[in-house]
Order: sequence, then C-alpha cells, then structure tokens
Amino acid sequence: MSRSSSSPPRVPVEERLFSLVLALLATENGLTKSEILSTVQGYRQRYEPHGDNSSLERQFERDKDDIRELGVPLETVDAPEASGNNQLLRYRIPKGAYDLPADVSFSPEELTLLGLAAAVWREGSLSGESRRALMKLRSLGVEADDPVVGYAPRLRVRESAFDPLTQALERHVIVQFPYLKPGESASRMRTIAPLSLVQHQGRWHLQGIDQEAGGSRTFLLSRIVGAVKLTARVFDPEKYRVDGEAFAERALAELERIWESNVAEIEVTAGTDAATRLGKRYGEAVAAGADGEPVRLTVNFSDINILADQLASFGPEVLVLSPPELRDHVLRRLEATVAAHTGETSDG
Amino acid sequence: MAERRKPMQAQDKLAFLLALVPYLMDRDRVSVAEAAEHFGVEQEQLREAVRLIAVSGIPGETNAYQPGDLFDIAWDDFEENDQIILTHQVAIDDSPRFSAREAAALIAGLQYLTALPENADRDAVGSLMAKLTRGASAAPSQLAVARSETDEALATIRDAVIAGVQVEFDYLSSRGERERRRVDPLRIESVDQDWYLRGWDHLRTAIRTFRLDRIDDLVATDEPITYRPGDVKLPETLFTGTPEDQLVTVEVSASAIPLIEDYIPEGAARSERGGVIRTSVRVAHFHGLKRLVAGLSGVLTVLDPPEARQVVAAWAQAGVERYR
Repeated sequence: MSRSSSSPPRVPVEERLFSLVLALLATENGLTKSEILSTVQGYRQRYEPHGDNSSLERQFERDKDDIRELGVPLETVDAPEASGNNQLLRYRIPKGAYDLPADVSFSPEELTLLGLAAAVWREGSLSGESRRALMKLRSLGVEADDPVVGYAPRLRVRESAFDPLTQALERHVIVQFPYLKPGESASRMRTIAPLSLVQHQGRWHLQGIDQEAGGSRTFLLSRIVGAVKLTARVFDPEKYRVDGEAFAERALAELERIWESNVAEIEVTAGTDAATRLGKRYGEAVAAGADGEPVRLTVNFSDINILADQLASFGPEVLVLSPPELRDHVLRRLEATVAAHTGETSDG
Repeated sequence: MAERRKPMQAQDKLAFLLALVPYLMDRDRVSVAEAAEHFGVEQEQLREAVRLIAVSGIPGETNAYQPGDLFDIAWDDFEENDQIILTHQVAIDDSPRFSAREAAALIAGLQYLTALPENADRDAVGSLMAKLTRGASAAPSQLAVARSETDEALATIRDAVIAGVQVEFDYLSSRGERERRRVDPLRIESVDQDWYLRGWDHLRTAIRTFRLDRIDDLVATDEPITYRPGDVKLPETLFTGTPEDQLVTVEVSASAIPLIEDYIPEGAARSERGGVIRTSVRVAHFHGLKRLVAGLSGVLTVLDPPEARQVVAAWAQAGVERYR
C-alpha cells in the first residue's frame, strides 16, 4: 500500500464498514464506485480526485466481501445505458432485503433454546457465525429466559475439510479434494459440486455431484486426506434438485436407508464394556445375560470399515458372526494390532 | 481452530453496530450497564460502539456528513449518567437478517439438540427452524445433523440437576470394574454422539466425568446434593490428568492426530517422518489405552513402555482367539 505524503486521519475499519452500509442503505438508485470512494467516511479521506485510487478500489472490493459475509444483501445494479462498464455499476443495499421480516420474532423460551443451539458450536468452525447470529437475535430486545442450567452440548468438527466445504456450499462452487477409499492404496482427486454437509451417526459426510462420474456421491470427511480446493466454477444447485426436497434432508434419508439395510450379527459378553455400550446403542429387547454369558446383538452400519474399527476396539468382548466380510475386517485388524505390538520395537 | 484474524474482528464489530442500533431505537432510554449485559459485552466496549454510532451517518445531499445526516444521542445523559438516548437516526430501521451460514449454524445446532428430552417436540423446533430460514438473507447452507436416540438416563439426570438431588447408578469403568456410584449431578455435556455426566463423586470424593453409555440402573435419590453447580468449578476439559497418569510413546499417522489430540499432553514433543508422527499420550492406565489402540489398527502403535505394548498385544490376541 502506498503512503501519501500527508497521512490522512486514520478511520477505524469498523467505522468505514459501518459508514458504507449506511450509505448503501440510504440510496435508492445506488452509488457508483467513484461516488462511494470520494464521499463515504473512511474512503474519502484517502481518495485522490485526479490520482490513482487502485489500492482504495481493492479495499472496497474486500469490504464488500466482508459485508456480504455478514448476510447483508449488497447488490450490484447494472446501468442500462452502459451495460458492462465497470465504472458505471451502481451499488446499493435494498432495505426490504436487509431488514429482518416483521413477522420473524422470537419468544424468551425460543431465544433460550437458540442460545443453546449456538453454544453447540462454541469450538471451531461455526463459532463466529453462531456468535454473530446471537448478536442479531439480541438486537430484537427480547430477554432470554434464565440460561439453561445443567447442559453443555457440543458439536466438534475435527476434519479440516469442514470449513472450506461450508464456504463452497454457500458460494455454490465446485471443489476438488484427494479422497482415500478404504482398501485402495492411494488417494484419488475428486471434483465435486457440493450440495450438502450432514452428520449421521456422529460422522460428517459431504454429498454432491461427482463431475467425472456424473452422479450423486457421498464422502466421509475423515477420508479427505488433503486440502480442499475451491474452484472458481459456480454451479446452479437447482438443476440437481429432486422433488423440491432439501439436499441435506435427502442426503440424511439416503444415509439412513443405507444404515438400516446393512446389518451385522455380533455376540457380546454380558457385563463387559461392549455389552453395556453396544447394547445401549443397538439392543432393543435383548435380555441382559448374567455376567460372562454371550448375548446376541443386531448392529446396523453405513460403513463396514468404521464398524470394524469400532468392534476391534472391544477385543475379546465382541465376536462377529456375520457378515463374513465384517468378520474378516475385524480379525485382520486384531491380527495387525498383535503384530505391531509383539517383539522389540525396530528403533526404540 | 485458529482465532479469527484482524478483519474478522472488524466484521464482528460491524455486526455489533448493526445489531445495537435497532435495539437502541426500541428502547427510549437504556443504561450502559443494562445494554452491555443484554449483549454480553464489556461496558467500555458498548460505550465505544455508542460513541461511534453517534458520529456516523450518511454523506447526505452535500456529501459532507452534515449534522442532520448523522445519528445523534443525548450526550449529557450519556457522559454524565451513563444513559443512552438515541435522538436522531438515519438509514437503519430494523434488525439485520441472518447470513446463510449463520442461519445454518443455528438450524444444525437445533437439530443436534433434539437429542435432549425436552426438545423431543419436533413441531416447536421445526417452526423455529422455519423462522430462521425466513430471517436469512439467502437460503441457509445445506447443513444438517441427524436426529439421534435420546439416552433414557438423560431425562432423569436433567430432573435431578434441577431438583438438586443426588443420583445413584452402576458404572462400568474402562478397567472393566463395575461399582455402584453416588454422584451430585452438576452438568450434562456432550461431544458429538457421546454424552457425559459430570459431577461430584461421593465414592472417589472428587469431580468425575461419566460416559452415559456406561451407566446402568440410574435412579434419582431424595438426598440433596452437597455441592451446588456454582460451588465447584468444572474444568474446561472433560478429562483432566492426575499425577498418577503414565506417559506412553506412540507412533500415529499424521491424519489421525485429531483423533488422539485429547490424550496428548500440552507441550509434548512431536517428530514427523514419512507421514507418521511420534509423540506421547497420557493415560490413567493401560486398559483404556488398549481399547483406543485396537480401534485404530494400523494407524496408532504403542512403542514404549514394554508393559503397555504387552497389554495391547494381549488384548488383541484375546480377540483373535475368539475366531479360532
């Protein structure tokens, strides 16, 4: 950034952003870029009437993005008499699209629940969004009921792919990422039009349209083994919509269908950790046996490798009866664990 | 989980200004203390925001930010009595809409909360989600959390927390020992699908964390709790180390580090070679460790001490025997 000889008074960033929002809300017909840069607080101090304003223009571009990210509908209006001429584009924020609709109001109980819903994200990715959403709710002036005592629920997204994917979902851009399918030795680059991110059975999945295969695919975020790249290619999600259904609901219904159709028979030993925990999760009317007795459980799953990991952790407390493929997976894992922990370590 | 960078701070401040203006418009007069409390911010932060609003406005006809083009407040009341009275307003009349991501975050959070017994009423939650959708400036991002089963113990514990009575239950420790425990329930916490009870354990005379799926035969007693939630400070992390904990050297695939991050002590050395990280984890005993390692076969390997390797190998070997 070039520094002019007489340094203009410094206007704080939030003052410049706030002034820009106010100016664009107040205009009916919109303001051109040069009108904005020459008159709006925070820009005007740095505007050179006959000079080079390119750094100020870049500042304006970034500010626009920051403002839009807050959900402020900053519009670009093409001037009919000079279509395509960048300098004649006009910017404005239509009040109707900015104002929270008058019929959207919340009761104290609802605000309490929303406060807890926001707190679910207190760690990581969406914590900033939750915090800002709460701020907007408080703007309505309704006091929440007493805070919910006794609860501290939390969603924790461990996968680093989550953040870029939520951005891609919002911007409707195609993404690329390396994906490692279980059983394959190397990852493969996938090019996907992302439609939804859903958590099912505690795991985050991306559902989208594979641009090479040309069909809907679901990916486990934990198997995205490298950086997610957002491309500049924008797509229209509407062309993939079926029966007007929300993408996330559809993805969840599909995962649920897979989960229900995959069934394993296992035997757990009564009184063990496996019996207590798996029994709670899957056992419905299973009579608990006396300690040490075998108890049969029917277990649903959506991914055989994930279930195999989970069952292997219970060691001798679980015996897989069927399907044979799951038996093999669990046995191979246990054998590998034995092999890795027997004898001297190679370079201890 | 890096903290927000500088421009994000300015963004948050802007969101605060846009939220504060309509609140002040609705209240003819409000004290700095009350408004700060309402928004959950420091009083000085609120004063700063009011000062900025009071000198802000639109360029106006003259492009010169004339007084009529600016917000104004009753300065005497503000400076002498710490009271805020907005005397002139421009441009803004209403609260701003939610962004697509903000609405999506709250909607997914609500979906997650349907696991709580008091939110089992799906209609109420559904109408709330519809309102958030209507209140967003663009269709909320497609983010959803599947409804999960409610643990039946949750409702009982929740009622006990409110009533302030002790609970009693059978608990199976990761060592495989089953004991009847009596606990002052202080808080129900969760991480994704796992739910925990945190409370004062009368048997161990200490704060303990219990997995709900290891609890059996839970009953609420008539005995009042001895510690109130406000009396004891619950540590931020679910599990805290004790001096008896042992350090175990492990090798783990770099991609699996997030799965064991909770067990890696702060400041533990980490060295990477060929996508495998060598570091140490802290465990109370090897019986919890053997389950963790057997569930991450081929990804997590124990190197030292030898006894820990033996415990893991014996556990997996006993599992293999079941298939012979």
